[in-house]
Amino acid sequence: MNDKHILDLLEHAPLANLSQVDRERIEVHSKECETCQRAFEAAKLSAMMLKEHSLDTFAAPPFFETRVLATLRERAAGKDVWAFGRMWRAAGALVSSMAATVALLAVLSLALPVAQTSTSSTVISANSYSAEDMMLNSVDVSDDQSSDAQVLRTLYETEEEAAK
Amino acid sequence: MELAQLAHNGDESAFAEIVRRYSPRVFRFASRFFRQRSLVEEAAQEVFLKAFTELGSFKGTGSMEGWLTKITTNTCLNMLRSAKRRPELSAADLTEDENTWLDNKLAGAASERHESNERSLVAADLAGKVLDKLSPEDRLVLTMMDGEDASVRDVSAATGWSESKVKVQAFRARRRMREAVEKLLAKRGQRRHETLESAGTK
Repeated sequence: MNDKHILDLLEHAPLANLSQVDRERIEVHSKECETCQRAFEAAKLSAMMLKEHSLDTFAAPPFFETRVLATLRERAAGKDVWAFGRMWRAAGALVSSMAATVALLAVLSLALPVAQTSTSSTVISANSYSAEDMMLNSVDVSDDQSSDAQVLRTLYETEEEAAK
Repeated sequence: MELAQLAHNGDESAFAEIVRRYSPRVFRFASRFFRQRSLVEEAAQEVFLKAFTELGSFKGTGSMEGWLTKITTNTCLNMLRSAKRRPELSAADLTEDENTWLDNKLAGAASERHESNERSLVAADLAGKVLDKLSPEDRLVLTMMDGEDASVRDVSAATGWSESKVKVQAFRARRRMREAVEKLLAKRGQRRHETLESAGTK
């Protein structure tokens, strides 16, 4: 029997479940092989320790269920607080979006008329033949007319001089 | 099933009855994983709190005990996974009582069955120290199968693992535990040798 086989036997099942034949084979081999002897000893100690460990258990303390129920109520209350917090955050988001919308509308309503006025004046200044321009600058128009007359007069005078 | 239904519908006394009825089992199961009472209590409490929130998923096809065992296993495994493990047990970690227990066993007193209760506790503590160095999964299969003679099917039902996975896990866990004990014995021998040598030089 080789060492590997012994180790496999030790690990294949709990030591207590080994058949008598397997146990004897291990014991016989362990007497000749120091490595397997150490492994077998360690396996026996492990098995004993595990048995003792399984017997050493803790019992529930008195009023354990009361404590569980109290924790359950605490957590439920905590959840309520969280739910309120979530609601508050959601409401906060809604309020901020509303405030942002109001601010945007205010900016638009204040800034837009100014922009429109400035735009129209720009258009008026660009177009000197608009109705407003004609009305507002009526003096200039008469000036233009007189200068046209002067031009015509000058032209006629020039022609007359040429005819002479 | 009726209790579960009542508790699910918000009947506190029904849930208190579930806790009263199944807490011995949950405590016994959680004791496999932790050596400190405070941790066992924490785990057990967490199990029942989880059970309460998941009562709706309990269909009543299996037993309430089996359902709670599964929750206990998962809760304890998760708690152990999140805890830090020291890689190895050293000879200095052993108490005098634990050293004496090992000496007695190695001297061939293994067959003597009339041990005092105190000695058993020493062995249980020592087992806990060795198990603390193994993975939570190794610890589970070893305590169930080698400690409490649970079958492969029992472990499979408690963990949700396949039976072949349980077998492989148990095989490897036994090897790792045996190797840990072998190493501990070797370190003990070495430590004693060094102590004797230093005493000789003085």
